[in-house]
Amino acid sequence: MTAQSAGLALAIALMLAGAIGAVLLKEVMRVMIALGAFLFGVAAMYAYLGYSFLAIAQVFVYVGGVLVLMVFAVMTARRADGERPAIVSRHDVGSAAVAAGVGAMLFLSLRTAFGDTSVPVSRSASDLASELLGPRLVAFEAAGVFLLAALVAVAVILKGGEER
Amino acid sequence: MIALAVACALFSLGLYAVLSRRDIIGVLVGVEIMLGAGSVLLASLGAASGASSGSVQAIGVMVLLLAAAEAAVGLSLLLSLYRTSGRSRVDELSEVSG
Repeated sequence: MTAQSAGLALAIALMLAGAIGAVLLKEVMRVMIALGAFLFGVAAMYAYLGYSFLAIAQVFVYVGGVLVLMVFAVMTARRADGERPAIVSRHDVGSAAVAAGVGAMLFLSLRTAFGDTSVPVSRSASDLASELLGPRLVAFEAAGVFLLAALVAVAVILKGGEER
Repeated sequence: MIALAVACALFSLGLYAVLSRRDIIGVLVGVEIMLGAGSVLLASLGAASGASSGSVQAIGVMVLLLAAAEAAVGLSLLLSLYRTSGRSRVDELSEVSG
């Protein structure tokens, strides 16, 4: 097994194990750790494909930001409870069948778009910079406005909850 | 083709979490998994088709921003809901008030 295929296998194993843990585990902190493993796996997949900037952004934004935010939210929301926080689930055959059906449909509809396994190449961040500051400048600025709107929405939602 | 199969399996797992979890935090985790699966699919498709690396990374960054904003708004809703009603289960929330 070459180093590249070992990296791909590691990324896939991290993603699948993390996602299965995040879906099936009950205790919130374990779910967060499993989600962290999944997000690290996605970053490893980006790195395998050569998108190094995306891999670093994934670790910084998701693992360092979103995951910590989720842990803080869970701790803040449930600190009054005496027992260890657990996620309630209702595992049924219908949900599993719908999820499996959608996954199979996606696979069958997209399989013609994929050719052979791609060979990883180096894809630098300068490509991304010239793309974002060139033809996609409007989308880039719109994303900034969107993030600002999300921040304002968060402030309004939390302030509304305090006043009620 | 392996990447496609993995991305579809991940999307299925995320969708199953959204359908089966009764807690808002579990549903949010499911949505994050689905967004991650979409990003992996996009990056793999871009690498397999030989698309411009700048375009693929730019769209990946946009998905990343979208997911971060979604998590922030979703968690603020969770906090606000828990403060006002003490509930966090989706099947207990049947009313919408302004």
